[in-house]
Amino acid sequence: MSADPKRAVPVSLSREGSDFLTITWQDGHVSRLAWKHLRSHCPCATCREEKLKKPDPFQILSQKELTPLKAVAMVPVGHYAYRIGWADGHDAGIFTLENLRSLCQCPECTSQSKAPSSTGH
Amino acid sequence: MQPPQSQPKLQLPGIKQILAVASGKGGVGKSTVATNLALALASLGKKVGLLDADIYGPSIPTMLGIPGIVDQATTPLPLERHGLKVMSMGFLVPPAQAVIWRGPMVHRALTQFLTDLDWGNLDFLVLDLPPGTGDAQLTITQTVPLTGAIIVTTPQEVSLVDARKGLEMFRQVRVPVLGIIENMSYFLGDDGKRYEIFRHGGGKKLARETQVPFLGEIPIDPLVAQAGDEGLPIVRKLPENLVSKAYQELTQRVLQELGSLPAPSELPSLT
Repeated sequence: MSADPKRAVPVSLSREGSDFLTITWQDGHVSRLAWKHLRSHCPCATCREEKLKKPDPFQILSQKELTPLKAVAMVPVGHYAYRIGWADGHDAGIFTLENLRSLCQCPECTSQSKAPSSTGH
Repeated sequence: MQPPQSQPKLQLPGIKQILAVASGKGGVGKSTVATNLALALASLGKKVGLLDADIYGPSIPTMLGIPGIVDQATTPLPLERHGLKVMSMGFLVPPAQAVIWRGPMVHRALTQFLTDLDWGNLDFLVLDLPPGTGDAQLTITQTVPLTGAIIVTTPQEVSLVDARKGLEMFRQVRVPVLGIIENMSYFLGDDGKRYEIFRHGGGKKLARETQVPFLGEIPIDPLVAQAGDEGLPIVRKLPENLVSKAYQELTQRVLQELGSLPAPSELPSLT
């Protein structure tokens, strides 16, 4: 658990072009997240199962590739999460605030998230 | 392109504060606590509603002396009883008939109870949740603008383990936990001695470990069950009884905790 309760509370969301989401957190941190990165980490059961499936050799393009990846909305679920709606109709993934914060792609956060696993090698 | 199903918080403008009374485990007296808490709030001059959210096992109708189903053509819902506005699945389904519903139907029923009924202006709406951490609880925490949750437990370990799970559920969905109530804490004998039938201090220990306020302990008294079965809860039937005094004290604690809550902040959206 995070020691700082402000760490995972967003104060603003904005689009940066068509490819990025910017979240400003209550502790002042700013996360710049690629929509593609978020979609690839969609926590819904369908997406998680999809990742475990063997690739279909007859499917040249995936559904994601057939429809350009675009987030149409990002709305709160209670006080603890967000649901992202995508242009292809997918909207089942509920991203908890902690999960969103952990997906931050800034150098500081990515180095922190890599640190524990790198010690094992 | 349809925007996602956002499950936005329901807009309930006439209701100032919504309190969820929950427990991880059944049989700890949650409905008794919810009913008596609602009545104790009403006795302070507050306008109070009580929603029995236990769709599968509604017990509020019995406790408030409203047996059987209610004819909606002649009696508007929510009902008014003992100064409370009350709604329960038990008003719509005969007592012996089981409600065999999947989660989405429960969701729809609870949403209708909250939004389609005329609750009027309330200072408090007390929600008596079903035990556990399942569909109904999750639906409520996601869609109802809860002010806070109160966890009911009994002193013994088997109850505390489940109470902790219930508490953690509210924490995970960021609903403030106002505190823990220990029900059936002790029995005061005719000899004036305190008999701790279900062990001692479990609720306080859980409150300490989880760092939430301990709101109070409620003694066991056969009169509580008798009053509930008669449809006149103890706080209303015997306001000077030891149990009623305990409810009045813990109601003051609940009000104190509500007063210390920070103003709720809504999460921003992106559309």
